[in-house]
Amino acid sequence: MTSRSDLRLVVLAMVGCAFTAPVRAGSAAVTSGAPGAGAWADLAKLPDWSGVWTPVPPPASNKSPAHTGQWVDNEPRWTPAAARQIAALEADEKAGRPHNIYLNCLPEGMPSFMIMTLNAIEILFTPGRVTILGEFDGNRLRRIYTDGRPHPADPDLTFDGHSIGHWEGGTLVVDTVGILPEVYLPLGQGVGLPNNGDMHIVERIRLAGPDLLQDDLLVTAPRMLAQPWAYTRKFKRHRGADADIVEASCRQGDFAEQKDADGNAIFAPLPHDAGGAPLPLPLGK
Amino acid sequence: MSRYFLIALAAGLILAGSPGASAHHSFAMYDPSVTVRLDGTVKEFQWTNPHALIWVIGVTKPGEAPTLWTIELPTSPGNLSRLGWTKHSLSPGDRVVVELNPLRDGQHGGSFRKMTMVLTGQVLLVNLRDQPKTEASK
Repeated sequence: MTSRSDLRLVVLAMVGCAFTAPVRAGSAAVTSGAPGAGAWADLAKLPDWSGVWTPVPPPASNKSPAHTGQWVDNEPRWTPAAARQIAALEADEKAGRPHNIYLNCLPEGMPSFMIMTLNAIEILFTPGRVTILGEFDGNRLRRIYTDGRPHPADPDLTFDGHSIGHWEGGTLVVDTVGILPEVYLPLGQGVGLPNNGDMHIVERIRLAGPDLLQDDLLVTAPRMLAQPWAYTRKFKRHRGADADIVEASCRQGDFAEQKDADGNAIFAPLPHDAGGAPLPLPLGK
Repeated sequence: MSRYFLIALAAGLILAGSPGASAHHSFAMYDPSVTVRLDGTVKEFQWTNPHALIWVIGVTKPGEAPTLWTIELPTSPGNLSRLGWTKHSLSPGDRVVVELNPLRDGQHGGSFRKMTMVLTGQVLLVNLRDQPKTEASK
């Protein structure tokens, strides 16, 4: 049993640590207890990433043929075997037979979360954590732990993986592992290949201008890429209620708002072509 | 239950099982090299994610029997809102002229390019570079 004097010593030691440990804004350890007022106050030292951020679309001169939201400068270097598959997928896409890579509303995963969406994101700072909230598909989110913890030794594999981060000045450096092998390396919604395992993503996210956020990603996927894939995505800031992020379900548009025989409001499935395009409902109501 | 609804439901159920039936899809099935001008009337405007939809009954050339087209907008209500659109931008019965890229297989579906409201001359566009809304898209 711990004596009262032992407890006093523990408390004194903890206070001593609090004064001697270097204070890193937004990096307060929350894994072993509630954040104190200091941890919340430290958040004010971080750069201002508030507001709503929309991806900056490429100009027509630099647009990838595979997807309207992609910059052609960002093409990855595939292994020869992967390059052959990509060539076939691009030919099918060009011929109007896309192989959609986001099926049945499974999460897109990383790196798609950051580089494929055409929708807005917002970013929240809380002690020991950065949270990126997406508008895309069910308002998905990323949790980036900045409390100094390491990756789990044997993480459960997930779509967005396990992310830890630290601040280098105004730059958030994020390290992500533990991504499912089925998650795609995307060129477009109809062109991409699974990473097939061991993908590792390092991001450097910073303000590149007063209202411009830049994410420089380095994607390592040794089973599919001949060299790490450097990809830069930029986001433009908006403030004001007219730019607010809205609820965004993944598949509502696959259904028509209808009434059933009892007058209940229901979602009725819409017909689609093989590529997923909605088709007209038969006339005759 | 209306015949319309039953047919729609049956068609939807059959197609929902196909691998391509997902909300997020490439737009490669639309032919960007062809622009069809559809002159008609809005039947319904569906303000849904991930893509809003417009149903228009109209003709693509004079003398043609009016048919129903499904026009898919290239983005979501969130982005459309930032471009000045609202769920009231279109109403059933609105007379419109739509420019669209049609499905390659000849079915009456298309991706939205531009819409002109016949009554007011207002032009509706979707250019994500315009976010937030600009004069051109208000």
